[in-house]
Amino acid sequence: MNDNTSFELELFLSFKKGDETAYTFFYDKYFRKIQSFSVQFVYDSDEAENLAQEALLHLWQNRESVESINGIQAFLYTYAKSKCLNLIRHNKVKDKFKNDLLNQKEKELNIEVLNSVQFDTLELTELERIIQESINDLPPKTREVFIKKRFENKKNAEIAEEMEVSLKAVEAHMTKALKILKNKLSDYLFLIFILIYNN
Amino acid sequence: MTSEKIYKYLSNEASEQEVQQLFEWIDASEEYKKQFITLKKTWALTALTGGFSLETTDVISIKPKNSIRKYFKYAAILFVCIGLVGLVFYLNERTTASKEIVLELGDGSLEYFTEKNQTTLVNDKGEMVARKFPDKILYFGKVLDKEVLYHTLTVPYGKTFQLKLSDGTLVSLNSGTTLRYPEQFGINGKRNVYLTGEAFFDVAKDKKHPFIVHSDEVDIEVLGTKFNVNAYPEDKTVSSVLVEGSIQMSEKENPLNTVLIHPTQMAVWQSESKKIVTKTVDTSFYEAWTQGEIVFKNTPFSTITKIIERTYDVEIINENAVLAKQNFTGSIKISESSVENILELLKHDTPFNYSIKQKTITITPIFHN
Repeated sequence: MNDNTSFELELFLSFKKGDETAYTFFYDKYFRKIQSFSVQFVYDSDEAENLAQEALLHLWQNRESVESINGIQAFLYTYAKSKCLNLIRHNKVKDKFKNDLLNQKEKELNIEVLNSVQFDTLELTELERIIQESINDLPPKTREVFIKKRFENKKNAEIAEEMEVSLKAVEAHMTKALKILKNKLSDYLFLIFILIYNN
Repeated sequence: MTSEKIYKYLSNEASEQEVQQLFEWIDASEEYKKQFITLKKTWALTALTGGFSLETTDVISIKPKNSIRKYFKYAAILFVCIGLVGLVFYLNERTTASKEIVLELGDGSLEYFTEKNQTTLVNDKGEMVARKFPDKILYFGKVLDKEVLYHTLTVPYGKTFQLKLSDGTLVSLNSGTTLRYPEQFGINGKRNVYLTGEAFFDVAKDKKHPFIVHSDEVDIEVLGTKFNVNAYPEDKTVSSVLVEGSIQMSEKENPLNTVLIHPTQMAVWQSESKKIVTKTVDTSFYEAWTQGEIVFKNTPFSTITKIIERTYDVEIINENAVLAKQNFTGSIKISESSVENILELLKHDTPFNYSIKQKTITITPIFHN
């Protein structure tokens, strides 16, 4: 996937043997990811943080059952996914809207979204690769906006100021980025679809 | 068009109306729904994934053993703490701007406790209802039920206060606490008081007039007894520890959900699960604050910071995730210790850095390079 592969592979092997140093590395690598993923469904950053910590603790306890380096994130995301589903199903997620129908609808949609993500090892790795490629393929300005927004967590207004463009332009870039990504991903998902159903 | 709406929704910038519109579209068309699911999935999976950073940052730096060991400890401690602690980084909402103890009378007028000497409080009929001291207030007398007037006493962070209600009940109020109670209790009926925060009650025996402490979600009914109630609004629990007598805790919305406890037991209302659980405790631990002491017994650091914030009227921002999950045991005499003393003591056990700017203390990890 990147230059770190062989280095990470070594760490993975140490991690399997119970090396805390290696665990720390994976902890640092995935904590924010899992938290950021979960917060999209539980809407509470503390809850999401707890969830990520639980997932990583669980990983350590079950390190022997993780078979490959890509299995780590599949393991973590799978854990987060089922935890999120549980929280939603047991109404532990805070209501966001005044209108209860909207809250209900949002829960249903989130359940569908979560169920649509199959975290088998292949998909995640593939998905990440495709996302990375797609982002790299974005037009430079659009890419910059997307990165600032998603990975640096900046507000539209901040981005507009930094890049000396209008707020509208930032929004337009974001829309464009998502459109491109959606197309790429749909193609990919389509491919998976055919692979699964032709076998 | 739709992806714009979806994007706005995903970045939490859509109004309720816009969300409603979006959801209607999703309901109306399977195609939109598929699009939405794909976008949300992408969004969630790419959230902060990094690796796409504009600058090339160091991906890893191997940390010295020391901090790694702590990480591991962290993981181990977590096992115990999960579920108990909603993370620490709460910034408390302080409802009262005032740093003084304030008494709000039945007519809405305010009294302060700044005078050195004792004064008396007189009602509108010219009758004396209470004697006021700098650190306590004593009420007396009874009135007809329909004439019951309520007083509200608010104790800010950094202060504690004592109160003797008109029936002879003694109440100690901890920092950051508000109690609403009758200026004079009625001749008939129950003795109702309303608590936010923490208080220790030594209730005057009076079988005909049950004494009820109301908190947000549960009521605690007693006959004559000594007990502590902890009902801070930022906590998701209300707990009551019984020293003497018997008390009954019931959920307000569902009075059938009720638990009777005996001395040395603690009842804890868990707001999220709507359950009341009981356990046996060392009551001196929960009374300690009334004697000007803070006692920790395997207490999570997050809880300790809350207690320090209330006791010393400071704000603590903890950016040290390892510390957040540590537990500590010990006791502190409030009058003899400063916040710095306490932090130095804790540092001794688990090293961390901190800085103090006015009343805000920021705790940070020690970085090894």
